[in-house]
Amino acid sequence: MASRKYVDVFEAYDRFSEGDRIPEETWDYQIIPSNARLMRERYDINFSKTDIVPTDADLIDRLFLAGVDMLMTTGIYNTDFSRVLKLDEDEIYDGLKMAPKKLSIGSGKEKVKCKARRGNSMRKPIIEGGPTGAPVSEDVFEALIVSYAQEPSVDTIVSGVLNSVGRHPAVTNTPWEIKATMAEIRHVREATTLAGRPGMGI
Amino acid sequence: MAATRPLTVTDVYERFVKGKKVPESEWDYTIIPQNLTALKEKYHIDFGDEIVPEDPEVKDALFQAGLEMLVETGFYCQDLGRVMKVTEEEVWEGIKKTPKKLILGEGRDIARFYPRQGNSPVKPIIQGGPTGSPVSEDMFIKIMQSYAQEAVIDDLVDGVMNTVEGKPSKSGTPYEIRATMQELRMTKEARTRAGRPGLGV
Amino acid sequence: MDLVGLNMLAGWTVSGDTIMIEQMPIFGGYTGGVEETAISDVATTLASFALFSGNFHLDGPIHIRWGVTTAKETFQIAAHACAAVDHNTDLLLANQYYPMAGPMTEMCLLETAAQAINDTVSGRELLSGSAAAKGVVLDKFTGMEARIMGEAARCAAGQRVSDMNETIQKLLDIYQPHYVDAPAGVTFQECYDVTTVRPKKEYLEIYDKAVQTIRDCGLDIKR
Repeated sequence: MASRKYVDVFEAYDRFSEGDRIPEETWDYQIIPSNARLMRERYDINFSKTDIVPTDADLIDRLFLAGVDMLMTTGIYNTDFSRVLKLDEDEIYDGLKMAPKKLSIGSGKEKVKCKARRGNSMRKPIIEGGPTGAPVSEDVFEALIVSYAQEPSVDTIVSGVLNSVGRHPAVTNTPWEIKATMAEIRHVREATTLAGRPGMGI
Repeated sequence: MAATRPLTVTDVYERFVKGKKVPESEWDYTIIPQNLTALKEKYHIDFGDEIVPEDPEVKDALFQAGLEMLVETGFYCQDLGRVMKVTEEEVWEGIKKTPKKLILGEGRDIARFYPRQGNSPVKPIIQGGPTGSPVSEDMFIKIMQSYAQEAVIDDLVDGVMNTVEGKPSKSGTPYEIRATMQELRMTKEARTRAGRPGLGV
Repeated sequence: MDLVGLNMLAGWTVSGDTIMIEQMPIFGGYTGGVEETAISDVATTLASFALFSGNFHLDGPIHIRWGVTTAKETFQIAAHACAAVDHNTDLLLANQYYPMAGPMTEMCLLETAAQAINDTVSGRELLSGSAAAKGVVLDKFTGMEARIMGEAARCAAGQRVSDMNETIQKLLDIYQPHYVDAPAGVTFQECYDVTTVRPKKEYLEIYDKAVQTIRDCGLDIKR
């Protein structure tokens, strides 16, 4: 049956709250490994010893179908409710159709387009440079971000975590964390501007 | 001693963390009532039958009692189970740094939120709306319009939309977020229908 | 104050938002009588500015037995606390409205008007409401209750405080004995023509009657 509407966050919440109740250990130690094994057998998934990146088109498609089947058969677990959301094949494909196939990141002349590449296209992927959430000390924060922003091959910036703000540790779940996060964004913007690329996506 | 500066939210957090540990029940049932009674006696505060006070001495005594209550008793953080302290000078710095004039709304529909000082002949800002009461989804715009169209109203306060697409907007769920955003859009639509698109919300 | 509140404040202060701090002291709880609750109200109002970076304060002394803001005791607390802070600072002070009776009843309009007079003459800068029927019943509030709130405030502004104390007391004498048998009122859908968003004739008549009662109590409110 065709899906009535793709599953959005709100539909997901409803399905989570009405889903089957399952203990977390059963989910982690029984359902997930046994279903994964079942899918491997059903779709004959065996990786080649020599190809790290697969070259067998049929294997790639079988793996995709195994993933769809795994999601459909197993569902998604909500740790707060200890309940499982279920969705059917049409809903999965509708969700994929809803996802944008290209995105613009950044603004002005630093704007980059993130588009589907399909296989190993001649076009390089977007290079998002930065410390990716690793701790960075306050004193060097801007300079460190400039070091990424000034690299011509870097298209957008991923920030690090400012270790302290005004010498106070940015402890999670305290007002200092909020203050540090807001400061981080300002510092990254200043760094991209210092590097001569003020519109770079963050 | 003069204050170093008015307290910021992060200063307050630091003081909570370093504050004295006090059980919540002791704070609620012993410290607060005891200190309030002591200050009531110290400043001879007795309202009698009067509703709005006229005597400046009565007003000042109550202000001093309130100030002393804050300074001597401090403020409680139930998550940390600790009490922070603030000095009188810091309270005054906080009062001084607070803006005394605010503008609510935009364009020709702005309301000037200025101090009145006593029973000034200038009327207070009238903020009309259901103040967080439950409002049904299909009536939301109409109800908010019924406030926005009242000439005496200067600003809007919205209600809580009960459902969104028929689903309860339960707090702590994605529906609460969606309902809140929808409330804002609908309140903006209501003020526009009432011909006052810049009314503060 | 809990850490969630403090963290929200941190975000708003860094972003430069206008911050309203709401705090509703309960009369009859562990703070004790009217005077003690008013001292506590002054202390927490000051804390809203000195500790939590608020830009204006929304009060709302509430009666523990009735769950309303329109009782004599909660009026005394709100008026004294406001007058005390107003007399010593020029901070921006607001109050909110939880009357007992529901819409399209004279009692609801009288409760709202009495509080508006109380808040205005004690020096408040913003009145916010009104959550008729104690703010707990679906769709039981309309723009008409805000109209009486505004008109009463407009008319009370600048009047002599002692005269207004008499008016408030007269209004209290009329409605306070009826907390036990307060009229529940009706919903917005029954008060207004929903298509045109105009109050029904029946409500306008009740409004006019309430205005006359307020005039009889000593405030020459406009129709």
